[in-house]
This record gives sequence, structure tokens and C-alpha cells, in this order.
Amino acid sequence: MKRTFLVLFILFSATSIFANDFITKFLKECVETERPVSNVNIGKAMLNKMASNTSDEELKTTFRELNSIRIITTENKADSKYYFEKAKEMAFSEFTEYKEVVSVNERRSKINILMKKIDEKTQDLILIALDDDSKLTIITVSGNIDFNSISKISSSLREGEAEEKTTDPGS
Amino acid sequence: MNIERIHTLLENYWNCETSVPEEQELQEFFNFGDVPEDLLQFVPLFAYKQGHQTMELSSDFEKRLEASIRKAGRQKQYITIKIFEPFLRIAASVILIAGIGISVFFFARQNNQVFAETYNDPDAAIQQATLALEKLSEALQATEEASVKSLEQLDNLKLDWSEIDSLSSGIPLYNPDSNNNIKPENL
Repeated sequence: MKRTFLVLFILFSATSIFANDFITKFLKECVETERPVSNVNIGKAMLNKMASNTSDEELKTTFRELNSIRIITTENKADSKYYFEKAKEMAFSEFTEYKEVVSVNERRSKINILMKKIDEKTQDLILIALDDDSKLTIITVSGNIDFNSISKISSSLREGEAEEKTTDPGS
Repeated sequence: MNIERIHTLLENYWNCETSVPEEQELQEFFNFGDVPEDLLQFVPLFAYKQGHQTMELSSDFEKRLEASIRKAGRQKQYITIKIFEPFLRIAASVILIAGIGISVFFFARQNNQVFAETYNDPDAAIQQATLALEKLSEALQATEEASVKSLEQLDNLKLDWSEIDSLSSGIPLYNPDSNNNIKPENL
């Protein structure tokens, strides 16, 4: 009986160690019920489904290479500023294995990107941003992150949106 | 005893048709009665049966049985506990630790997600995923713009880099053994 409890305890501890990714920890430790945030989680299975659903080859490859995308947003200005500071504090004090790769601290927009190399192909990325409208965005991306293809996707999406607007003047 | 009856009982006995009292009757006849010559051949059989039926367990049988069970139990215990159990414990611990280690290793390698998927519909998820990637791209672009802006600001200072370079090249390197070092009051 004792042995069974020991095994269960060890397994539970092991699970809880890996459960502490940035978003999980942030939601657990920083988010307050009176200051709600929106959270979107996309895992490997869904990313594979998304890859098979899209016709864009670039997007297909990017989705296949990623393991997860997790997003936290809030549009409340006061909450955004509060959570931005909290997220930064947590990232720099508790996620010390991540290296800060980008830091923009302008009056209007504040961006911090931290990265951790897991192996030759896999990286974990944390983006903490407060944009012009004081909207907080926290994104964690895990997997083989190719910045070139990400920027290509982004520009192709923008072009697509622009085309939609020109062809549909009513919208 | 009526010999005729004995013959009948014997016949029934061979045909397995005798009752217990009838068999007892036969036994009594062959063990204690006056057996005629033609039936003498059956005396040893019934004497053997009688001997076995009267056999009793000795008074210390139970004690001897219990003692022998205890002895066998002790022997078994001794072998398991004293010889094998320490090895079994070590082996079990090693297997347990190795098993947990391997599971944790593969768990970490597979990057198993510990969160619930928000969407069941890939199209809805694509929208959010592309939004996230776009945000990431925007952040990288903003970084690039910020770097360009900093360079421009530095450029606007209109520093004469060649003069700064010549200033630094004109200052001789400090040599503790030389008397030609510039004195602080001369700077």
C-alpha cells in the first residue's frame, strides 16, 4: 500500500513539474478572478489537423513543425498593464533558463520575447507584449520555430486581408 | 453361522451388492468364526480389511503434523526473507526508479501537453493560431523598426566619427615603465 502511494506521489510530482509551463503557471499564480483573461490553447493534435485543413503550403509546414501555441489576452487597459508587469516579473525570476532575445520598451508598445532551446530543432518561446491600445498579449509557442516562414505567413495573411477588403467594399 | 448365507453374502459381495451390516457380518465370520476349508482362501482379505478399519492415529499425530508444517513454513520463510528478499527489494526499487525515469524522460521528450484544447474545430483554431503568429511577426518587425530608429537617432547626432577615432588613436597606451604617459593634469 505504502509503495503504491509512493509511486503515485512520484508520478504526480513528475507530472506537476512538467505542468508548469509559462501559461499554466501564469494562469494559476497571477490571474485573479476579478481580472479575467482570455486563454486559447492549441496542442499538437489540433496543429496537425489544422495543417491538413489548410491549402497554404507554408502554413501547413509551420503548423506541422510546432508542438503547441497558447495565448492569453485581455483588452482591459488597467488589467493589461498589471498583468504585463506580473508576466515579466514571473518570466525573469522563475523562467531563468529562457534567454531574452527581444526587448522593445517604447512609450506606445512594449515587447519582450524570451526563448529556450530544448534541442537542435525544438525551441520554446514566450512573447509578452503590450500594444498601442494597451492590450496585453502573452503567447507561448513550442516546437521548431522558423521566423522566416512566420513572417512570410504574416505578410501573406495581410495581403489576403487586403484583397478581401478591395473585392468586398461593403465590408 | 449358516454357511449357505455366507455363500450368498459372498456372492453379493463380489457383485458389490452387499450393505454395510452384511459386510460387517462377513468380516466377523472370516475373522472370528469357524471358517470351512473351501472359504479359507478369503480369510487374509477380510483380515486385511479388519486391520485397516481398526487403524487409529497416534495421540501425538496432530502435534507432529503441526510441527512439520511449522518447520516447512520456517524453511520457506528463511529462503525467501534471508536470501532472496533483499535482492528482490533492490531489483524492485531499480525497476521502479528506471520505469519512472524512462516515463518521465519520454514524457518530457514528447512535450506532452498538460492543457485542454480550446477548439475542436480546426478552422477556428487556425484563426487564433495565425493571429498569434502574426502577433509574433509584428513583434519582430517592431524590434527591427526600433533598432533602425535607434540607429537613425544616433545618425542625427551628427557625430564626427573620424575625429573620435583620431582622438582615441592619438592617446598613447598607458605604459607603467615609460615616463611619456600623459599626466591627468595635462588632459
